[in-house]
Amino acid sequence: MEEQEFIPKIVGFLCNWCAYTAADTAGVSRLQMPPSIMVVRVMCSGRVDPLFVLSAFLRGADGVLVAGCWPGQCHYQKGNLHARRRAAMLKSIFETLGLEMTDRFRLSWVSASEAPRFAEVARGFTKEVEQLGPSPIWDEAFL
Amino acid sequence: MLEGLKINKGAEEAVRDLLRSLLESGRVSGVLALGRTGRGNGGVAYSLFTDPDAFGADGVALPLLPFMPANAGGLLSRLTLKGPLAEPVAVVVKPCELRAFIELVKRNQGSPDNLLLISSTCGGVYPLEVGANDALEERLPGYWEAVKQGELDSDIRPTCRACVHFVPDNADITVALLGEADLDTQCALYLNTEKGAAFIEGLEDLQGTPLLGELEAEPIQRSRDQRAAYREELFAGVEAGLEGLIRTFGRCIGCHACKTVCPICYCSLCYFDSQDCEYRPEVYETELERKGGLRLPPNTIFFQLGRLAHVSVSCVGCGMCTDVCPADIPLSTIFSKVGDSVQALFDYQPGRDVTEEVPLMTFEEEELVQVAT
Amino acid sequence: MNNKGAILPAEDGVESAVIGWLKEALSKKVFDALLIPVEVPAGDSFAYLLLRNPALLENASPLPPVMPVQGAKAISRLTMRGNGSKRVAAIVRPCEARAAIELTKLEQAHLDNLWLITVDCPGVLPLSDYLEDPVAGAARFAEASQRWDRAPMRPVCQICHHFSMPASDLHIGTLGSAEGTVFVIPGSPKGERVMENLGMPLDAALDDWAARVKEMEEVQRERRRQAHTDLKAGIAGPDGLLDVFSSCINCHNCQRVCPVCYCRQCYFESAALKLPPENYLARAGRKGALRFPPDTLLFHIGRASHMVLSCVSCGTCEDACPMSIPVAQVFSLLADRAQETFGYVAGRSLEDPLPLVAYEMDELHQVEQPYVETYHGLQIADCEQEVQDA
Repeated sequence: MEEQEFIPKIVGFLCNWCAYTAADTAGVSRLQMPPSIMVVRVMCSGRVDPLFVLSAFLRGADGVLVAGCWPGQCHYQKGNLHARRRAAMLKSIFETLGLEMTDRFRLSWVSASEAPRFAEVARGFTKEVEQLGPSPIWDEAFL
Repeated sequence: MLEGLKINKGAEEAVRDLLRSLLESGRVSGVLALGRTGRGNGGVAYSLFTDPDAFGADGVALPLLPFMPANAGGLLSRLTLKGPLAEPVAVVVKPCELRAFIELVKRNQGSPDNLLLISSTCGGVYPLEVGANDALEERLPGYWEAVKQGELDSDIRPTCRACVHFVPDNADITVALLGEADLDTQCALYLNTEKGAAFIEGLEDLQGTPLLGELEAEPIQRSRDQRAAYREELFAGVEAGLEGLIRTFGRCIGCHACKTVCPICYCSLCYFDSQDCEYRPEVYETELERKGGLRLPPNTIFFQLGRLAHVSVSCVGCGMCTDVCPADIPLSTIFSKVGDSVQALFDYQPGRDVTEEVPLMTFEEEELVQVAT
Repeated sequence: MNNKGAILPAEDGVESAVIGWLKEALSKKVFDALLIPVEVPAGDSFAYLLLRNPALLENASPLPPVMPVQGAKAISRLTMRGNGSKRVAAIVRPCEARAAIELTKLEQAHLDNLWLITVDCPGVLPLSDYLEDPVAGAARFAEASQRWDRAPMRPVCQICHHFSMPASDLHIGTLGSAEGTVFVIPGSPKGERVMENLGMPLDAALDDWAARVKEMEEVQRERRRQAHTDLKAGIAGPDGLLDVFSSCINCHNCQRVCPVCYCRQCYFESAALKLPPENYLARAGRKGALRFPPDTLLFHIGRASHMVLSCVSCGTCEDACPMSIPVAQVFSLLADRAQETFGYVAGRSLEDPLPLVAYEMDELHQVEQPYVETYHGLQIADCEQEVQDA
């Protein structure tokens, strides 16, 4: 086991109108991306209930990425601004309780045309999570 | 407008008289307040009283009893859930109960219309088990002695001893209790709203001298400082990290009573009790394969974190969760600690102002830029 | 059934013998996984773990001093959507096994691939007593259970008469066994297959165990009868019942932890009872006061009417009551009387049909009282006499 390379399992909630399209384009354009992100396509970053994020973490995800449209560019006008408040709240909860989930959680804005940026976000976040190592939740029995 | 009234009666008697004459004069149709239940053995519950005699000297009502069998914020929501009251009803509640009700009103779970909100500067309440052991009555002399000094009895719930919001927001009438040295013989009623003043004005049996001056006084500030210090002490005891969470919630029995009694948790069916959390055996088997062992029923930590995510922004720190927990988990401390940090993020204070929007239901265009990277 | 069992050496005590035996069953792949109480990391309680990693058995206990979660709830969680593909052995208390059987009949659990394994049960401590000092609690429990002294146990454990084998697949008999041994007793063809697969011949006579169980059962039955007589005097009439529940805070935690109250959303928490304010005020006006929230007694009696035929008197409700109301004791009385009416014992067997599902044409005539007879002020007995005379 030790010898094997650690490929983080990152659950990515990607907005259909921007980040998902960017991820798709990045793939088609063969931009270099790690195989770490498991994509859940959502219609808007504002659709991501905090429970989705918690659920991913508590089933052992090493990282959770929520990616949506830049402020002002939301397909539904303001969904991403709701997402931002929720992200701030989640981070505050994690920090207060001293949970490292705060470092394993990322909110990023990526527009549909920013395939290279998506690749960069994916690479950068994967690297950070790699450094944190596997989530201790993965094999914790007493959850 | 009359700003206050000094009455030459003890606080307990003055409040009883106030409620009795409000009912007798027909200014209100009912009063929601604590009272004795049952025949012999001293149960206490909130009741909706319509009979003025309940507030007589031997009446069953106990409007100022330092006890919280339920957060009355939730009860007011239940009372007005299906529509506002058509007739006025007076309520006597603790400041945290009032704040909880305001949060519920913001969530369309109740209406303040026609409610006369009476609260007091709160000296905390005793744990439920004191009531369960029938030991409330004997604590009362000591309780009131401490309150007069602006102190809290040591058996008061830790949550109350760590509460810094013990002066009510949004009360139409505030009964001054904490630090009132002469509350056996004098009662100061602060009339904070026109509604409060209008209900009182010219009420028979409730004559007093006009009261001027501020409620905010030295004993209140002193109590706030003491409680703030104790709050820090309690917060420091919260075990950190995943390991800390597992240690703290290891003995959770999954009864979700904390959720049931939480006034902010108003969902009629919680996500964690819903079909979404009923998994097929394969789900468990896959997890078993991976971990070698898993806890059943599942979602112990998920439930707590999920509930924090859903309610911490509006947590009023009433302490009901800790009080009912059969496993004695200090839930209220954890929820207040997280609540403080989440609420600070949005400069929000639950229950402060009914026109203030719940932070997670709104947003600003330019804010929290550091959150997205 | 139950005529023969096997003898398991238990020089180091029942706990380690049972754990060792389960370990062997796991390694021989007789079972794929165990569902068993395990001490939590902080060491201050126990939780059910579904486990296949034998290392996790280090802190497992087939007879923990408390019952923080009713085991049938854990079994139901696991199998409510159907039988799993893994063979699971659930090590539970007899009342937990009985609740699991009720839940199976109520289609909230599936037992085809799950073996119920029980041990002769000395009772459990009240959760609050134990949590005050878990170490001292564990010691107190160990000491008392050694002597079969039920005094420190939960009030309903003190009057439990179903402390031994109900209808589990395998039962560990500690009563009447020779020093340093316990009996392993199969209770179903499923259980017998396990014994076969483990290479444990059924060659031990169980007379000593059965005799000791019977003896203890008689003592317990008498205690229960006495306790119920006293209780009944205390709760008789609406005032008595009101008194018992006068301190109820309506948290409904009794219902939430009850293994057989399986409704996702209880009727008493549903929209059905949420009414316009006028309704509450009118009810208050009629009586001078209306306890709020209302319907406290309706909840308790209503809940009884929904679940009392399946109540196994486990006592979890009482453990979870923040007001220390003797709710399990009251329900044990209601349950016994209601179940007697139908000759039913909750959890006795998977085959007995639920009394409110099965019915017969010719039964329960004592509850029929045609209005004509009442109208004329006649008693049924008089009528029967008349018929006979005619």
